[in-house]
Amino acid sequence: MPHELTLEQTIKGVSAIVIEELKLEDVTPEIFDPDLDLIDEVGVDSMDLATVALVLQDEYGVPIDEDDYPKLKTIRLIAEYVLRNAAVKT
Amino acid sequence: MKAVCRDSINLRPNPNPGPAETWKFSDILSFDPAIREKWEKVRKYFFLRESTYDMTRRCNIRCEGCYYYQGDKAKSAGTEDPGQWQQLLENEKKRGITYVVLAGAEPSLVPDLLKVCHEQIPLGCIATNGLVPIDSDVDYRIHVSVWGNDEISRETRKAPHMLRRQIENYRDDPRAVFVYTFTRENIRQVHEVAGHLAKNDCRLTFNMFSAPEGYAGRLCHDAHSLYQVRRAMERVCRQYPDHVMFSPYHRVVHTHRLGLNDLFSCPYPRVNSSAEIGLGRSFRQYRTDLAWSRDDACCVPDTDCADCRHYAAGSAVVTSKMFRHAALPETFMAWLDYVDVYLAVWVQGYEKSPDLSPCYTSPPGHDLF
Repeated sequence: MPHELTLEQTIKGVSAIVIEELKLEDVTPEIFDPDLDLIDEVGVDSMDLATVALVLQDEYGVPIDEDDYPKLKTIRLIAEYVLRNAAVKT
Repeated sequence: MKAVCRDSINLRPNPNPGPAETWKFSDILSFDPAIREKWEKVRKYFFLRESTYDMTRRCNIRCEGCYYYQGDKAKSAGTEDPGQWQQLLENEKKRGITYVVLAGAEPSLVPDLLKVCHEQIPLGCIATNGLVPIDSDVDYRIHVSVWGNDEISRETRKAPHMLRRQIENYRDDPRAVFVYTFTRENIRQVHEVAGHLAKNDCRLTFNMFSAPEGYAGRLCHDAHSLYQVRRAMERVCRQYPDHVMFSPYHRVVHTHRLGLNDLFSCPYPRVNSSAEIGLGRSFRQYRTDLAWSRDDACCVPDTDCADCRHYAAGSAVVTSKMFRHAALPETFMAWLDYVDVYLAVWVQGYEKSPDLSPCYTSPPGHDLF
């Protein structure tokens, strides 16, 4: 992952993956509220979140622990996790 | 990749277990078009969110080792009032439940309640002994429990001619799947039973007797019986491939020396304290009085978790562990085959595809068997 990625850029990228993988309609990465609770407010369940986690690993090259992904309930939390683990990796 | 053998039936352990490194998920999906195809097929059903319901305290037979009559479940008051059940199911739908499992003690004895449930939530399954036919309007999967040939059934279930009566009731019923529960006592009889079922064009899957808490009787499995069961499963799967629904990975995880909880960490609330997501959040197991308790919430309450190899448990436990199986093509194919069979067994109208992997694959982090 390029080192210069900002939180804002990562939020947009994660939003795009979530929208694509969960086939969400009427929302774009630009308007996706990063603090929306994906489980309570979007209706995402564990299998969907596992799918998103697998695609995130591919896209950002960061390992996601099986115990961690259920806690990544918002786009912002996911983006912060990605940046934090990318930093550890580098 | 050498580790994957798809061209011929090979019941020996996979000789080339694959590279140690983790694959990218996109590379696994691209590894073979059949993988992506099955993945796209099964992921359409990720919306399924189940809960289970004991329907009545009554049963028309009394089986040794029956789960329902263990613990306190059978002591609850119980209601068979359709209005109360309708209200319950409406509330269940509101909280996101999309799939119901109607079980103990014998759901076929409360036909009005089955209709109420089906009207509210149209996807589900009924676990029955098959002695009383269920109205065709109730378009759920129907799991007919078989515990051996008629001689064994008479001994353990105290009912004569069970298989003959079950087949008469469900022979031409597209809802029906016969579920053969292997105990330590009925392993060899599966060949005779499977032959009868195949001859009558009935579909079959397997269950493993899993001891209720405190039960240490003659039906419990040991290392030798697990091995014998696996060999019997292999023969029956080979002999009746069009009638038996059970993947090679099913055979591995349900006859493994470790139970499902030790292999995969069971996600049901009874042993999973997290209520954040998945089954730990949404699953409930209602008693006949329409009450539920987190401490009891699993698919077969009162089972000894260390001995649990139950087919219903596996359908949730193994299926929920997609993430860890998506590390290598062979483990992901095994998982896809497992989920494909799970859906065919549990979801009315879903048809199983050919297995991707005829090899035995080790559960992630564990040895084979």
